[in-house]
Amino acid sequence: MTVELFNQEFKGIIGQLKSYILRITASIADAEDIVHDTYLKALDKLHTFRGDSSLKTWLFSIASNLAKDNLRAQKRWTENVTDITKEAALNNKQFFQEAMNIRMTSPHGQYEAKDHIALCFTCISKSLPLEQQLCVFLKEVYEFKVSEITTILGTTEAMVKYYLHTGRSKMIHVFEGRCALINKEGVCHQCSELNGIFNPKQNTQEELMKTDLVKEAEKGNKEHLFDLRMQILREIDPFKSKASELQLHHLEHNRQVMEKYLEKNDD
Amino acid sequence: MKYLITILTITMMTTATMAQNGKATTVKTTFHRETSVSIEIKADPAIVWALLTNASDYPRWNSTVTSIEGNIALGEKIKLRTTLDAKRTFKLKVKEFESEKKLVWGDRQGNRIYAIKKNGNGTIACSMTEKIGGPMFPMYSKKIPSFDQSFEQFASDLKKESETIMSSK
Repeated sequence: MTVELFNQEFKGIIGQLKSYILRITASIADAEDIVHDTYLKALDKLHTFRGDSSLKTWLFSIASNLAKDNLRAQKRWTENVTDITKEAALNNKQFFQEAMNIRMTSPHGQYEAKDHIALCFTCISKSLPLEQQLCVFLKEVYEFKVSEITTILGTTEAMVKYYLHTGRSKMIHVFEGRCALINKEGVCHQCSELNGIFNPKQNTQEELMKTDLVKEAEKGNKEHLFDLRMQILREIDPFKSKASELQLHHLEHNRQVMEKYLEKNDD
Repeated sequence: MKYLITILTITMMTTATMAQNGKATTVKTTFHRETSVSIEIKADPAIVWALLTNASDYPRWNSTVTSIEGNIALGEKIKLRTTLDAKRTFKLKVKEFESEKKLVWGDRQGNRIYAIKKNGNGTIACSMTEKIGGPMFPMYSKKIPSFDQSFEQFASDLKKESETIMSSK
């Protein structure tokens, strides 16, 4: 592959690559650094690329390895991340002032429930063991086949299937217990509460009913609801959506809060 | 003598075949009790091993285990709670850990042994054996409930979960 062709194809993949790294690291800086390092490493090793896999698979493999080096040294988040970060946000006037400023001034500062649902999944998925989190994103959001994921993560098909099944099952269980969008007894209403704050003139319930996830909730098919949640993530580019700046600000807040929380609660 | 060996061989072969049907068997002596179950599973041994060694994941797929705290790795201590005796927490040590082949945990009273063997036809035989006992065993043996039903359920749950994962796309 020539450098020109590589550069051209890289431009078509970079958006997905960057959003993938953001979603597994929850860090804008890490996403930018790792994508940059992936480009340099791929360019350096371009002569070794024989086309045994697609270029996208090869690049995701390089990026995943770079991200794993970072992530292995970090503690995994907890399932109740949204409770912890909500409490921190309520005690942080500056966070809300900044968020409201973004909401009022940025073209990417709209509040969209779908974007918050995607952010919420990103945060809670960090409670999964790393391999499970990576497999869930690669398969469910970036639509790689199991055989491609074995190449990306350098593991066996059996283990990819195990990580996927276990990660998916755990996420279904967590959202079933927590998410008020799909379970009336769910403890987390953040996407509705924030809609009330950022879009006070909207009827929140009407707005939420526009998403298939909420519309289908009463049928109670957990697997299908998970698929609908994944569809939301597939449709959103966290760096380019109309709500991206607001959600990235929120994600950055959550990451900082969780890093402090995990450090404080270190055994 | 030849006749005896033939009979013994047939008996052993029959036992080995039957042992993979998920039916538990218990052998009692004065000082020991041993319960075993073996089941044929159509899955990669890595999947079965991953299920058997991921402590926090047990309650999700195994209806006989309420919780396992700790890390299932050689020399580690774990706390096991089961539906068989809901009030009791078993404090156990992982004594053997041979990847995708053998796992043993136990305490002073006994050991539980998990063994995985390839059958050579794309299936594996997974067995679980627990031997309990000792000099004081006759004094408390009647208080220990039968493991048979719990073992059969464990084997059935393991087979179901392993084969579901194996057949996933």
